[in-house]
Amino acid sequence: MSDVILKIKRQDGPNSRPYWEEFKVPVAPKANVISLLLEIQRNPVNLQGKPTTPVIWDCNCLEEVCGACSMVINGVARQACAALVDTLSKPIVLQPLSKFPLVRDLMVDRQKMFENLKKIKAWVPIDGTYYMGPGPKVAPSVQDERYLISCCMTCGCCMEACPYVNPKSNYMGPTCMAQVKLFNAHPTGAMYKDERLDAIAGDGGIADCGNAQNCERVCPKEIPLVSIIAELNRETAFRGFNRWLKGKPKGPGLAAPG
Amino acid sequence: MSQKYHYLARRLHSFTGIFPVGIFLCVHLCINSFIFKGPEAYDWAIGLLERSPLTPYIEVGLIGIPILYHALYGVWVTYISKTNIFQYKYFRNWMFYLQRFTAIVTFLFVFWHIYVLRIARIFTGTEMDFATIAAWLSDPTIYIIYIIGYLAAVFHFCNGIWSFLISWGITIGSEAQNFVMCVCTLIFIALGVVGIAGLTLLSKAVVLIR
Amino acid sequence: MKFIVVGGGLAGLMATIKIAEKGENVDLISFVHVKRSHSVCAQGGINGAVNTKGEGDSPWNHFDDTLLGGDYLANQPPVLGMCEAAPGIIYLMDRMGVPFTRTPEGNLDFRRFGGTLVHRTAFSGSTTGQQLLYALDEQVRYWETQGKVNKFEDWDYLSAVIDDNGVCRGCIAQDMKTMEIRSFQGDAVILCTGGLGAVYGKTTNSIINTGSPASSAYQQGVYYANPEMIQIHPTCIGGDDKLRLISEGVRGDGGRLWTYKDGKPWFFMEEWYPAYGNLVSRDVASRGIFKVCRELGLGLDGGDSVYLDVTHLEPDWIEKRQHGVLEIYRKFAGEEPTKVPMKVFPAMHYSMGGMWVDYNQMTNIPGLFAAGECEYQYHGANRLGANSLISCLYAGTVVGDKVMEYCKGLKKTSSDVSSKVFDAEMARQKAGMDKILKFNGPENPYVLKDEMNNYMSTYVGVVRTTKQLQDTDKKLLELMERYKKLGVYDTGGWSNRTAIFIRHLWNMFELARGIVGGSLLRKESRGAHYMPEYPNRDDENWLKTTKAKWTPSGPQFSLEDVDISLVKPRVRRYDVTKDQVIKEAAEKEAASSKEGAK
Repeated sequence: MSDVILKIKRQDGPNSRPYWEEFKVPVAPKANVISLLLEIQRNPVNLQGKPTTPVIWDCNCLEEVCGACSMVINGVARQACAALVDTLSKPIVLQPLSKFPLVRDLMVDRQKMFENLKKIKAWVPIDGTYYMGPGPKVAPSVQDERYLISCCMTCGCCMEACPYVNPKSNYMGPTCMAQVKLFNAHPTGAMYKDERLDAIAGDGGIADCGNAQNCERVCPKEIPLVSIIAELNRETAFRGFNRWLKGKPKGPGLAAPG
Repeated sequence: MSQKYHYLARRLHSFTGIFPVGIFLCVHLCINSFIFKGPEAYDWAIGLLERSPLTPYIEVGLIGIPILYHALYGVWVTYISKTNIFQYKYFRNWMFYLQRFTAIVTFLFVFWHIYVLRIARIFTGTEMDFATIAAWLSDPTIYIIYIIGYLAAVFHFCNGIWSFLISWGITIGSEAQNFVMCVCTLIFIALGVVGIAGLTLLSKAVVLIR
Repeated sequence: MKFIVVGGGLAGLMATIKIAEKGENVDLISFVHVKRSHSVCAQGGINGAVNTKGEGDSPWNHFDDTLLGGDYLANQPPVLGMCEAAPGIIYLMDRMGVPFTRTPEGNLDFRRFGGTLVHRTAFSGSTTGQQLLYALDEQVRYWETQGKVNKFEDWDYLSAVIDDNGVCRGCIAQDMKTMEIRSFQGDAVILCTGGLGAVYGKTTNSIINTGSPASSAYQQGVYYANPEMIQIHPTCIGGDDKLRLISEGVRGDGGRLWTYKDGKPWFFMEEWYPAYGNLVSRDVASRGIFKVCRELGLGLDGGDSVYLDVTHLEPDWIEKRQHGVLEIYRKFAGEEPTKVPMKVFPAMHYSMGGMWVDYNQMTNIPGLFAAGECEYQYHGANRLGANSLISCLYAGTVVGDKVMEYCKGLKKTSSDVSSKVFDAEMARQKAGMDKILKFNGPENPYVLKDEMNNYMSTYVGVVRTTKQLQDTDKKLLELMERYKKLGVYDTGGWSNRTAIFIRHLWNMFELARGIVGGSLLRKESRGAHYMPEYPNRDDENWLKTTKAKWTPSGPQFSLEDVDISLVKPRVRRYDVTKDQVIKEAAEKEAASSKEGAK
C-alpha cells in the first residue's frame, strides 16, 4: 500500500474563508477519490500531523448513477467515485464545484438545477395515475435517443465547465436544454413542445450558449449535448419565425399542466 | 422586456455578424484586392463606393448601426462569460476563447480604423486614395497594427461562420460541424494570405513610387 | 389533512404523487435530493406479467414464482395484489415517459430474470431504477409547482411524534445544512426509507442506506419483521469503497456463470439446475457460487470469484441492452467485458425483512406507515430479481390510498394535538444531538462501523452458524459499549455530517442486533437464511414471521403465522420446471391416497 498526497480546498461555511489542507492517505488497490476521503474520516489528521475535522462531501451511490459526488478533481469537474486513484496525477487536488453556492468543504448546493427543471416543464403531463392502458408506442430509434438523455443525473459537471454558467449570466445550462429535447421527443410530451421551446427562448435560455462545447466533453454520461443544443437552436428559431408569421392562435390557449 | 427580447437580441447579434457585417467585410476585401491591379485600379475601386448617392445611407444603416450593435452587444456577451481554458484545455474551448479575444482586438482595431480613415477625414477633408493609404501604411507600427487587426477580424469572421451555423441550428451533427470547420479554416488561410500580401504591397508602395 | 412522506425513492415518490393527486398536501422529507435516492441504482428491470411473448404468463404465475422465490415466507394476499397490479403500474410508468427498451413495433420489450422461466421483466437499458425514479421525480416536481408538495431535501428523519394514545402525529427531522431540528405535523407519516446496506459496509447499496429511520421507528415500538432475511446478490464486483452490482439482467440476456474445473470451463449452474440454469433465484445462485469457491475450492485464483460471461453474445446487441452495467465494469474493473469474462462474487444487496406492516402498509403504531425496502411485506425469505421496483411502486400506490382512508377515520387530527407532544419529542432529539456533540473520547465512529461491517459480512451472509452468530452478537455488544467512548472530531454547528453519522451508527447497531437475533432464532434454512446445522426448510415449526420488538436490553422476538390462504407451499426446486414439481407432487399424493384407501 502506497501513500498519496491529497490537497483539498476547504471552507467551513458559505461565509468563511477558504483554505487549503493537505493529507497523506494510504491507497488500497482499486481505490477511488471517495475511498481516500473515507480514509480521512477514519483518521482525520492532516499532513502536518495535526488533528482536523473530517472533510465534508456529497456522495451516495458510488457507481456513477446518482450524480451526487461531482467535484473538481485536478482542475476538471467529474464524479469522485469514478476517479480511480491510479489514473490521476499526484498530488490529487480536490476543489468544490465553483458554479454553485458552497455549503461546506467539497459540498455545494445544486438546487438551482432543479429549479431550472421547473421552468422548462421537465415532465410528461399525465391525466392521472389511474389505469388508462399502455402508453403511446415509441419507435426504438426515438427511445434510444431519449434514453441517452434520460441518463442525465443532474450532476452539474456540464454547468461547471460551461463558460456561460456563472454569476454574471442567467444561463440555465446544457443539461436543461437536453431535458427539453427529452420531453419534446416523447409522444405525449410533444403535445406541449412549443411551451418548452418558448421557455428556453427566454432569459437564461438556449441563446446564451457560446458553443465552447465543454459540456459534452465533461459529461460523465456522454450525452450528445452539442448536437442536442444545435437541434434546439433550429427548433427555437423555427418556432420564433412561426409564431411571428402566423400570429397567435385564436381561442383559449391550451397550456401544459403546470 | 429583457426576458422577451433576450433571445431576439442574442440571435440578432449572431445574425448581424454575418449579415451585413461579414458580407461587408468581404465586399471591403474585394475592393481592396484591386491593389493587385495597380494604384489606378485601386483608386477607381474605392472611388466606386464614394460616387454612389446611396453611400451615406448604406454606410450608416447597413454598416454602421449593425457593426455598432454587433460590437457593443458582443462586448457585453464577452463580459458575462467566464473563460476556463487552463482547466478545460479542449480545442473548441480555446477557439471559444480566441473568438472572444479576437472580438476585442477587432473591436479596437475597427473603430480606430474607421475613425482615422473615414470619420477624421470628414473634418480634415483628406482625399482617400492609394497615395494617402500607402503613406499611412508605410509606418512600420501602423503596418504591424494592421496585420494584427486584420488577422483578428478575419479569424473572428471565419470562426463566426462556424458558430453562426450552429447557433441557427444548420449544422447539428459533429460531422457537419467538423466539415464546416475545415472550410472555415481554408477561408481563414486564404483571406489571411491575400490580406497580408495586399497590406505588405501597400506598405512598400511608397518606397516603390519614390 | 397533512401528510408526511419520508424518503424520496420509488415508494416515497409514488406515495407523494398519489396523495398530491387527491388534492392533499405533502411534506416530503429526504436524506438526499430525491433524484439521488438509492432506487437510482436498480439496473435490470421491473416485473409485470404483461405476457406479450406468447408464453402464457399471468399475474397468478408471477405471484406463484414470487412466493416460491421467497420460500413461502411472505403473506400471500398482498403479494397477489402486487402481481395483479404490476402490468398496470408498468403501463403507468410508460405513460410518464420512462424510456423503456422497445420491440421493433414500438411496444415494451421484456427480458428474463431469475426464478422464472418467462420474459416478464420490462427494462430501460440497464438503468431501469434510474429511469423509473426520474419519471416519478418529474411528476413530483410538477406537483411542487402546483404547491401540493413541499420538499425538505438534505433533511435527516429523527423520530416519529407519538401522542399519549400511542398514535403517530408527525415527526422530527433535522436540516443537515443548518443543523436545525424541527417538528413536522402530519396526520400520517409514511416511511419509505429504504434498506440498511451500511450495516454490512461494503455492499451494492448506496452509502446513505443506513436504515436509520427504520431503526428509529423500531426503537419507538414498531415491530421489525424477518430481520434475518438479507439478500446476497450472486454477481458483484469489487472496489475499495463499495461493491458494485452486475445486474441479473446480464444473465437474463444470456450471460453464463462458469469456472475452471480440470482445466476446462464448467458451467456449474447449468449443470446443477438444468431447468432454470443461470437464472435461479438469487439465494440459490449465491449458495451455488459459494459452494464452488469455498467447498470445492474452484473459485478463480482460489478466491471467491467466478466468471460471468457475455463474450459469446453479439457485442453490439448486449452493449445496447446492458450499456450501463458494462460501463460500470469497464470503469471499475478496467477490463472489456465483451472480450474478457467478468469476474464476479456474491455481496450483500437487499433486506427482505423490515418494519412490520399490515395489509394497509401501516405499522403497529397507528398513523405510522411504511413502504418499500424498509418494510417486510412482499418478498418473504428471498426476493426475486426485478421484484423490488414493482414492490416499491405498488406499496407506494397502496399506502397513498390507505393513508387517506386512515385519516378520514380519525376523530382527532394532528392539529388538535397539544404542541407539548411535539415539543417533548423535539427536546429529546435535541438532547441526543447535544450529547453527540460533546463526545470527546478516543474511538472513531467510522472505525467502529468498519468493525461491525467486517463481522456482519463475514458471519451473517450466505452461510450462517450458531457459533459465528453468537460471536457477532458479542462483538456488537462490545461495539455498543465502545460507542460511549466515541470522539466526534467535529463540534461545528454547520453541516456537521460526522455528528449525524454518529446518530446513524447507533441505529445501525440496533438493527444489526435484530438481524443477528433473528438469525439465531430461526432454526431452519429458508430462502436467504441458510444454516448448515438446520439444512432444511421446516414449514411445521418455522413457516412464521419473526417479529422483533425493541427493548433496551436487545430484541425480543415473537412469531406470527404466515398467511398461506392462496397457495399451498411446495418444495422449492430449480432443477426442474414448476409443472414437473406439481405433477410429481400430485402423483405422490395420488399414490398415498391410494395407499390410504387400501
